[in-house]
Amino acid sequence: MSELATLARPYAAAVFKRAKETGSSEKWSKALAFLVSILSDSSLSAFINNPKVSNERLSELMLSISEGQIDTEGANFLKLLVQNRRLNLVPHIAKIFEEYKAEDEGYLDVDVYAAYDFSKEGRKVFSAKLEKRLGKKVNMNVTVDKSLIGGVLVRAGDKVIDGSVKGQLQHMQKALQ
Amino acid sequence: MQLNPSEISDLIKKKIEGFDLGAEAHTEGTVVSVTDGIVRIHGLSEAMQGEMLEFPGNTYGMALNLERDSVGAVVLGSYQHISEGDTVKCTGKILEVPVGEALLGRVVDALGKPIDGKGAIETKETSPIEKIAPGVIARQSVSQPVQLGLKSIDAMIPVGRGQRELIIGDRQTGKTAIAVDAIINQKGTGIKCIYVAIGQKRSSIANVVRKLEEHGAMEHTIIVSASASESAALQFIAPYTGCAMGEFFRDRGEDALIIYDDLTKQAWAYRQVSLLLRRPPGREAYPGDVFYLHSRLLERASRINADEVEKLTGGKVKGKTGSLTALPIIETQGGDVSAFVPTNVISITDGQIFLESNLFNSGIRPAVNAGLSVSRVGGAAQTKIIKKLGGGIRLDLAQYRELAAFAQFASDLDESTRKQIERGQRVTELMKQNQYSPMSVAQMAVSLFAANQGFLDAVEVNKVLAFESALQLYMKTEHAALMDKINATGDWNGEIEQGLQTAIETFVKTHSW
Repeated sequence: MSELATLARPYAAAVFKRAKETGSSEKWSKALAFLVSILSDSSLSAFINNPKVSNERLSELMLSISEGQIDTEGANFLKLLVQNRRLNLVPHIAKIFEEYKAEDEGYLDVDVYAAYDFSKEGRKVFSAKLEKRLGKKVNMNVTVDKSLIGGVLVRAGDKVIDGSVKGQLQHMQKALQ
Repeated sequence: MQLNPSEISDLIKKKIEGFDLGAEAHTEGTVVSVTDGIVRIHGLSEAMQGEMLEFPGNTYGMALNLERDSVGAVVLGSYQHISEGDTVKCTGKILEVPVGEALLGRVVDALGKPIDGKGAIETKETSPIEKIAPGVIARQSVSQPVQLGLKSIDAMIPVGRGQRELIIGDRQTGKTAIAVDAIINQKGTGIKCIYVAIGQKRSSIANVVRKLEEHGAMEHTIIVSASASESAALQFIAPYTGCAMGEFFRDRGEDALIIYDDLTKQAWAYRQVSLLLRRPPGREAYPGDVFYLHSRLLERASRINADEVEKLTGGKVKGKTGSLTALPIIETQGGDVSAFVPTNVISITDGQIFLESNLFNSGIRPAVNAGLSVSRVGGAAQTKIIKKLGGGIRLDLAQYRELAAFAQFASDLDESTRKQIERGQRVTELMKQNQYSPMSVAQMAVSLFAANQGFLDAVEVNKVLAFESALQLYMKTEHAALMDKINATGDWNGEIEQGLQTAIETFVKTHSW
């Protein structure tokens, strides 16, 4: 996993640089998302991992599937990945690309898990508080998780802010041991 | 012991009162692989070098390799329950162990947890295991002795408070015996002792503990044990744990003595951890930083001046210097001191006590090789009387070694050579000492004085030890005042010289042995 992220980083950085130069980061973002979705198909991944399939046939197939969804540069990128046999990296490339994009645009993708859904007001207040705490604009993605019992759990990249009842109970369990 | 129920609920209440209800923020990562106690973790972008990491199941680890997308960590303890995908939390703390007076008399593991079944240890403070050694300004030169209680060592290779003196020798040459005698001799001197056992059999550690208890030396001793059955990571951190416990006493203006038994095994454990972390191997497959491994540990043994003690204690302790004396032990293979780890540690320490198996086997115990053993700074710290009397002994033995090869031609040698050989034989005999019977300064002074003044020359070689013990008994019963006086001050003057001379002359005339 960590090795894959390391391998994917130069590709993602190159794509991001190119996207910035041409001002087409949205288009690239969509193209990468499309590639991730087609690669998640199991029959296709079996085909990719089959060593008997030549690079030429694979790139022909990939290009025909994604016809109309990606532009010439996207097609070139796809050919390069096929040539280097790095199609497996696409999900990581997409993830790192999105991180670069978010950082460049000055916002942070934050996953919020809450025991109950937020009201409209509550969501606004909470995101304002998070923005203050994290020092960046946040892009909140709320999931309701009843197992938290109460409170919220915030995940922003590696950082976790655990304000849930479940987390505090676990914390207390350890303190009383 | 009967437990009072209200006590328990009070305790729980207190803990709940002190419980921090604030939202807890930390960094998380995911376990990618677990191999032989080494865990690779994805994420943890904010982890520090040496930081304590929390694994599921109340297990802790230490971050050692910080890479771009992953962290390599060692698990401290068992790792069987950790699997791929587990969550790992940063604690934001460098690995810490409990320190304090409460640890004295206890046996703890490499994380400072008690393993002697005597209940919890009530310590208030903790200290990080890795600390930078005191700086140049904070230090003071070595000027007070640590009496190990062994004639041959205290007379010829003196150790001062704050010194690092290596004990080196093959297996079965009595390295641990010297260390244990040194601990026993610190009874009543105020020097706190820490014995760190690394990679030893549990039975040997139990033996050491039992011997120390028998001689009443456990009260001033902490035993840190990382036995051979514990993970390499614990064996590698155990010396730092012991050092942190010793530094607590040093920084409060007290004196402490720490024994690392032995650093060869620690280097092995570190080599194992390093190779599993895929660090490149160097000479003898040790990693590149094995010198730093030992130098940063031994550099922490030092004597700090009164100003520094005052600063560290916040003005509570004034006018007292603190010291941590280290006696690292290194085991050589077939007497080879030019192997990698022995040369490293020899160059770091302030001298070495060299033990030889052929001396040991010929009955010279402690098997100290007086020619190869040195103390580079201890001379300044030696008690005056021992310094005065010990010089002659060293010279006698040095001359004897040169001439020993001719000893078999005794009848053909000239008078002075024969005398030197005979003196050397008797002094060698006198340097023998039983285990667990350390001697006081006065007792040593009597034996050394007798040798220097030639009282031994008339004694047969195989009667030297009998002569000595009879003399010691006589001095103890008939001249207790003189002995007390020597022990109290350690001074050397005409009055004491005269006292010893007449006492021994009377003994030789009136007693048999």
